[in-house]
Amino acid sequence: MKRIYAIEELCLNCRLCEVHCKTAHSLSKDVFKANKYEEPTPESRVTVYGNNFASAALNCRHCDDPKCVKACITGAMTKDKTTGIVYVNENKCIGCMTCLAVCPYGCIKQGKAAVKCDLCRNENEPACVKNCPNHALIYVDKGGEEK
Amino acid sequence: MKYIIIGASAAGLACAEQIRKEDKDGEITVLTKEKYLPYSRPSISSYLKGAVKENNMYLRKSSHYTSEGIHIVTGAQVKIIDRKSKTVKAGRKTYPYDKLCICTGSKPFVPPMKNVDGKENALTFLDLESAKRIKRLANPRTRAVVIGGGLIGMKAAEGLSKICKSVDVVELAPHILPSILDEKSAKTVKKHIETEGHIKFHLEQTVTEAKSSKNKIISLILKNGDEIACNLLLLAVGVRPETELAEKCGLEVSRGIITDPATMQTSDKSIYAAGDCTVSVDMLDGSKKIIALWPNAVNQGIAAGSQMAGGKITINKSFSVNAIDFYGLRICTCGLINVQGAKYSDKVICNGDRYKRLIFEGGRLAGYVLINSSENAGIYTNLIETGMDLSSLSGNLFDTPNPFLFVKPVRNKLLKGELDL
Repeated sequence: MKRIYAIEELCLNCRLCEVHCKTAHSLSKDVFKANKYEEPTPESRVTVYGNNFASAALNCRHCDDPKCVKACITGAMTKDKTTGIVYVNENKCIGCMTCLAVCPYGCIKQGKAAVKCDLCRNENEPACVKNCPNHALIYVDKGGEEK
Repeated sequence: MKYIIIGASAAGLACAEQIRKEDKDGEITVLTKEKYLPYSRPSISSYLKGAVKENNMYLRKSSHYTSEGIHIVTGAQVKIIDRKSKTVKAGRKTYPYDKLCICTGSKPFVPPMKNVDGKENALTFLDLESAKRIKRLANPRTRAVVIGGGLIGMKAAEGLSKICKSVDVVELAPHILPSILDEKSAKTVKKHIETEGHIKFHLEQTVTEAKSSKNKIISLILKNGDEIACNLLLLAVGVRPETELAEKCGLEVSRGIITDPATMQTSDKSIYAAGDCTVSVDMLDGSKKIIALWPNAVNQGIAAGSQMAGGKITINKSFSVNAIDFYGLRICTCGLINVQGAKYSDKVICNGDRYKRLIFEGGRLAGYVLINSSENAGIYTNLIETGMDLSSLSGNLFDTPNPFLFVKPVRNKLLKGELDL
């Protein structure tokens, strides 16, 4: 399946990926509203770590054998059999955050329900990748499980 | 091949699904004494407080079982495992098996108390049925008492506090949540729960006697002589592995069912066991203990299922990891947290309502207690699981863990996987 990978050497620490992730996961889908005053505040699923010398944007690896899915106590976290996307059913999630406690990459955020990357639900190109000004995020297929 | 699984919660379901992955044609039957399809047992406290609806508690859609060819029989209480004829009996039916997996989970442990047994408003809290009964009994006039300040008791108390007039918690230990918290952090959590939930605690106390009228409890007498009003009593002192079936058929059982720690095979080569009913070996200190936690049950179920179907998956890493919240206060714990001895050390960073305690064994991370500071806790969990040498890290371990905790080659692997760019 196609996944998002981050290239530290190309990251500017500009955090535009976060801005556009929030927009893509907002109600308004408007960059200004989503980042300024929309309620509830949309959460970015991608996070830039580091500083101006070295930084990188991290988001879900959509693992072949995801620990978060195995640890989920409600069946809310699933890996889609066709697309390979690991996503949360917000109606089923009770926000216990066991998934966060087992994700070795640190890619799940806490909220009323768990918050994580959904690859923009199989859009051609996720918003963070599309809007990265220096191609520090790429969306490629390195193989892996896909049915 | 005929597979029978007894129990349909975390371990049982994981076992059935793993068998199907590795054996496309085998006949898989899951017997559950409950009348529901597999559901999220830990969610019953959310159900009690009304945060989740019953139809969202089911772990899979019912069509999933049809498409996977997993036959789930509800209301099937297994009475006997007959190892000679390789059959199990549930009700009037007999089910033959080639491979059997026991995933019977836990049963509530109820200490003897005078005049409590059999009272209609004294209940345990372990399954959806009991949650429904409690929900029917609890109302804004109810004075509820929970005996037991552990995970189940405290989650029940939280749920009840949203419904009832008052909630009292009676706990034998000097602090609450003894299985996941140390003394200092337990104080912080207790204070939060008292403020947010108006729950009254009676620590280092036991109930000696109940006063009743017309088969209903009306008040409780504590060890110190105090009397507390009570018209709904929840017994949540603890759980024990449900090993009755295994014992009756002569399998090796200590506190829980004894299995091979890698394959989950019991002392009978055709029978496996997984989940809370088994004894686990904690990879962090080699001790044998009951790890009654969801992720452990799923991993064991997967290993058992794979082995039953002739596959290769084994389990070699059992350890505790738990995440829970009380009135918005998030608690996340992992590994060894109540250990003593010269080889262990720990360090605490406390900042307002944020509490972070890391426990070390030499140069490795052995456990953590995180309160309101569980961001990216899985990175810590991974350090514990892999036993990574902490001196190889480049960042500050007490900051929110992130890829920059690791030196560049390791970090690159996190960010780019196996890609060569």
